[in-house]
Amino acid sequence: MNLPLRRRLEEVCQRCGIEEEIIRQFLQEEWIHPIDLEHNIFDDEDIARIALISELRDEFGINDEAIPVILHLIDQLNVLHRKLKSS
Amino acid sequence: MDDPYKILGISKDASLADIKKAYRGFAKKYHPDLNPGNKEAEAKFKAASHAFDLIGTEEAKRKFDRGETDEQQRHAYEESKKNGRGKQRSYYNTQQDTGRYSDQFSEGFDTEGLFDQLFGGRGASHRSRATSQKAGEDQLYHLEVEFIEAALGSTKVITLPSGKRLEIKIPAGIEDGKKLKFKGLGGESRSKGPAGDVYVQLGVKSSDVFKREGKDIHSEVAVSFFEALLGADIPVPTLDGQVLLKIHSGATTGSKLRVKNKGIGTGDQRGNQIVTLKVVMPKVVDQALKDEMQNLAQKYSYDPRISS
Repeated sequence: MNLPLRRRLEEVCQRCGIEEEIIRQFLQEEWIHPIDLEHNIFDDEDIARIALISELRDEFGINDEAIPVILHLIDQLNVLHRKLKSS
Repeated sequence: MDDPYKILGISKDASLADIKKAYRGFAKKYHPDLNPGNKEAEAKFKAASHAFDLIGTEEAKRKFDRGETDEQQRHAYEESKKNGRGKQRSYYNTQQDTGRYSDQFSEGFDTEGLFDQLFGGRGASHRSRATSQKAGEDQLYHLEVEFIEAALGSTKVITLPSGKRLEIKIPAGIEDGKKLKFKGLGGESRSKGPAGDVYVQLGVKSSDVFKREGKDIHSEVAVSFFEALLGADIPVPTLDGQVLLKIHSGATTGSKLRVKNKGIGTGDQRGNQIVTLKVVMPKVVDQALKDEMQNLAQKYSYDPRISS
């Protein structure tokens, strides 16, 4: 069973190997919407999304203007995939 | 260890820039989030990531080229992956069953409309029909059957809420909790797709007399002290009614006797019934019996606590 996972910003930084400043930028850009925005608490989904954005920037060489476009397309792809599986 | 240069499809004298470029090429093509559910792409992405970790920086590349990246280091690397990012779920995996991020698109996301756009107007293919027409709901019903009905098989008729009558052939030997499927008898589809299926889950009532163990039936029968001592033919209940069972002289509590072909199943596939004897003393022992026994005991006493 997967227990719901909640982590503080510092833990996420440590886990993903990403600097706090970078994650703050992701928040500023509204690429991530943490499960608890007030206290900056992140769940499984948020952490995976942070890792994905980081990969897109560092490994794919995608610039910041294109990031929200790609996230949007990936989210739509996931919805479509989910709908196809359930139909 | 697999050759990371080979995995990334580059030569040994490739520069760091070349390595990065080759890795990015793989990442763009095979990233799991761009290939949801594609195991092959995932495997290729993992292999390329691993290769890049081995030769992706000046220091790592130098070590690898000198053959210093040994199995131990590789192991340490795998462990760190496991404890760090490697253990983390991919974004795709977090968005599969539910997912806050994709849910915002979920409402009002018209799959049918999308398929019409993709396949419509070109002689609407079979594929578009098959994927956009959702089957009706499956329905599950529960049916209680007697122990003997499940053991030997029987036929039951039930009426579904829709008014349909359903004849259910219960196969001999079916176990408690098993489901029988009736294709196409479930809910109607709301989009001209096939109807759902009906599942009937059987609940097998327990029996006071019989216990099931695989294909065999176990039961217990009480015999009197005299029947046990002298031997007798005693009536024993079976799934097919009473039979006379021969008890040999000197039988005792716990003796097991087998009645062939009275177990679970049909025809010559049936199991056996195992009957365990239980010697029962008279409820009231009157003085006359006691006196008689006293005489006999003096003559025929034995010690049952000495094992033979």
